[in-house]
Amino acid sequence: MNTNRSTNMVLECKHITKKYKNESVLKDINLTLESGKIYGLIGRNGAGKTTLLSILSAQNPATEGTVTLDGKEVWENQDVLDNICFSRELNPSQGTGSIAGLRVKEYLRIASIYYPNWDQAMADHLVKEFDLDIKKRMSKLSKGMLSMVTIIVALASKSQYTFLDEPVAGLDVFMRDKFYKLLIEEYSETGRTFIVSTHIIDEASMVLEDIIIISKGELLMRANTEDLLARTFHVSGKSEDVEGAVAGLSVYREETIGRSKGVTVILKENQQINRNYDIDIQPVSLQNVFLALCDDSKEK
Amino acid sequence: MNEFLTQEKSIYLQISEMLENDILRDILLEEERVPSTNELAKLYSINPATAAKGINILVDSGILYKKRGIGMFVTSGAKDMIKAKRKADFYDNYIVTLLREADALGISKKELADMIVKENPKNEYK
Repeated sequence: MNTNRSTNMVLECKHITKKYKNESVLKDINLTLESGKIYGLIGRNGAGKTTLLSILSAQNPATEGTVTLDGKEVWENQDVLDNICFSRELNPSQGTGSIAGLRVKEYLRIASIYYPNWDQAMADHLVKEFDLDIKKRMSKLSKGMLSMVTIIVALASKSQYTFLDEPVAGLDVFMRDKFYKLLIEEYSETGRTFIVSTHIIDEASMVLEDIIIISKGELLMRANTEDLLARTFHVSGKSEDVEGAVAGLSVYREETIGRSKGVTVILKENQQINRNYDIDIQPVSLQNVFLALCDDSKEK
Repeated sequence: MNEFLTQEKSIYLQISEMLENDILRDILLEEERVPSTNELAKLYSINPATAAKGINILVDSGILYKKRGIGMFVTSGAKDMIKAKRKADFYDNYIVTLLREADALGISKKELADMIVKENPKNEYK
């Protein structure tokens, strides 16, 4: 895949910790992100996704730890930052702050100056694709329209590393579909690296080559999506049969009703479910894997 | 090539099965070019790496072959290869589940055999 790309950059964060006063928002995050993939960043509200993306793009300083692109520090290093675009989520409720009074046209113009590889033809094309009125003021845009602006900035920036924070929030199902197709098209043509955060997990799962799951500021899982799904199962049946079948495995989300039980198992290498018991085994969606991993209802 | 993808099975397996189905049904003919990885990725909104994995399974089993710089093509004899492969899988995929369900319902071997015969008036599977 994408072997024709010349770039083999690596974005690396080591021991990233972020504290606001006494509250730890990120705790010792270590990640190595090879270029040329579409990554999904998944986590519950307040897990630290936006903070992580803002630190990776040097828009926010880490309390501890370093972020490097090809071994060069990202912080206050414009040469390196020219390769990174963090297209922030825009919210109508915030009044979109200092940009509220700007027209979409003007906002895109500022982005075009900010990103050195900006592709104006692409921006124009996307404005038409989304049927966005660029004469409107940012403060007058709906959530969905603001997401379109976020997507346009991200794609037209042509940055090697491009981060999209909740790009499909507020978009209807047609526009979400359009976004995924645009993303895949751009990725196929250029091999750019994308990190996409989203809460609409199952819809995105087929697009995301690798997923990064964070929970309460900690890195919970980094895995190839296909591989993770291939080793995660829902096992159900009579309680004692299920217990026998999954003995010794990592078990999540146990649910019992009467004599029956259902559990999610994530198999490690060389592990398997004991099929000598009378049980049903089903594949699970990425959303269910996420629910299993981030289920803290047991913590009391 | 226009089936829907489900969450029930690995996407790359679905991609390779869909291509196989199209070959079996003469939607894709032998020695014809199949859609590229990027075309499949865009059609199904899936990651190109997944589409490539689906195609590569078929290349590895000799059902598709690569023409350098042009794309992937259906091998002559691919249809027979797919049939042979699916026959080999038939027992595991269908017979085992059939017998398991029959057993759970208390359907006897005789009853099961009668059902199959009844379903095939020409007694093809007698």
